[in-house]
Amino acid sequence: MAKVMVVDDAAFMRLRACKVLQDNGHEVVQAENGADAVRQYAEHRPDAVLLDITMPEMDGLAALKEIKKLDPNARVAMVTAMGQQAIVMEALRAGARDFVLKPFQPDRMLGALQKLLA
Amino acid sequence: MRAEVINPFLQAATEVLESELGTTPTRGSIGLQRSAYTSDEVTAVVAVTGDVAGMVMFAMTEEIARAIVSKIMGQDFPTFDALAQSGIAEIGNVITGRAAVLLAEAGFPSDLAPPMLIVGRNTMISTLDVQRLVIPMETELGKVEVQVALKLTAAPARRVA
Repeated sequence: MAKVMVVDDAAFMRLRACKVLQDNGHEVVQAENGADAVRQYAEHRPDAVLLDITMPEMDGLAALKEIKKLDPNARVAMVTAMGQQAIVMEALRAGARDFVLKPFQPDRMLGALQKLLA
Repeated sequence: MRAEVINPFLQAATEVLESELGTTPTRGSIGLQRSAYTSDEVTAVVAVTGDVAGMVMFAMTEEIARAIVSKIMGQDFPTFDALAQSGIAEIGNVITGRAAVLLAEAGFPSDLAPPMLIVGRNTMISTLDVQRLVIPMETELGKVEVQVALKLTAAPARRVA
């Protein structure tokens, strides 16, 4: 089972994702914004990251770039309600491996995680 | 308000509430209001900027708000605490985000501000000269009223899909 970091400024969404991940045997690290995600990535070195895009302090795209500087092999999937092509392309260029669109769907999230860890 | 602006919200509210609650909501009669909005017990507010700008509100009673987050999380919320508030704000955020994707596909790129929540009845919110489109969505847990107060800001030449 993997160590997964869930990054979302909405506590409700973090808890929801944590429940699903823990029920499936994963260890979860939570971060509430991009800056927190970068700090926690450096500390915990998770196997995979589920990273929201729209967040205060540092958004998900900026956090993705910082995490990739720390670890070029970081396995990151972006999670967002905003699926516009420009954002998708920028995140993929910055090294994101997958996209999970909100509303939250446990099977879709677990599928993305499985792809990240493959 | 133009159909290209209204339809994304109708579609997004239906899709997201259906996905979150597991049953298809029924849409009531759509109304257009000019007067100020007087808040229900819980109102999530999401500001929109871009080729369409203004705000979108999601209003409901506290009982319905707690029922919605209880159903989604699979646990009882006896009080409308910070976690429950986060859940309702996020639903507003996801519906508006989905609508923003559909608006962009229709040629109206727009962006969202983080959601806010007004808790407490009878707060008056004026959208000034922007009319509000009121969309009642009946879910199995009760009514969620979607209020769309947006205006076009882009020159016609920019509005190309």
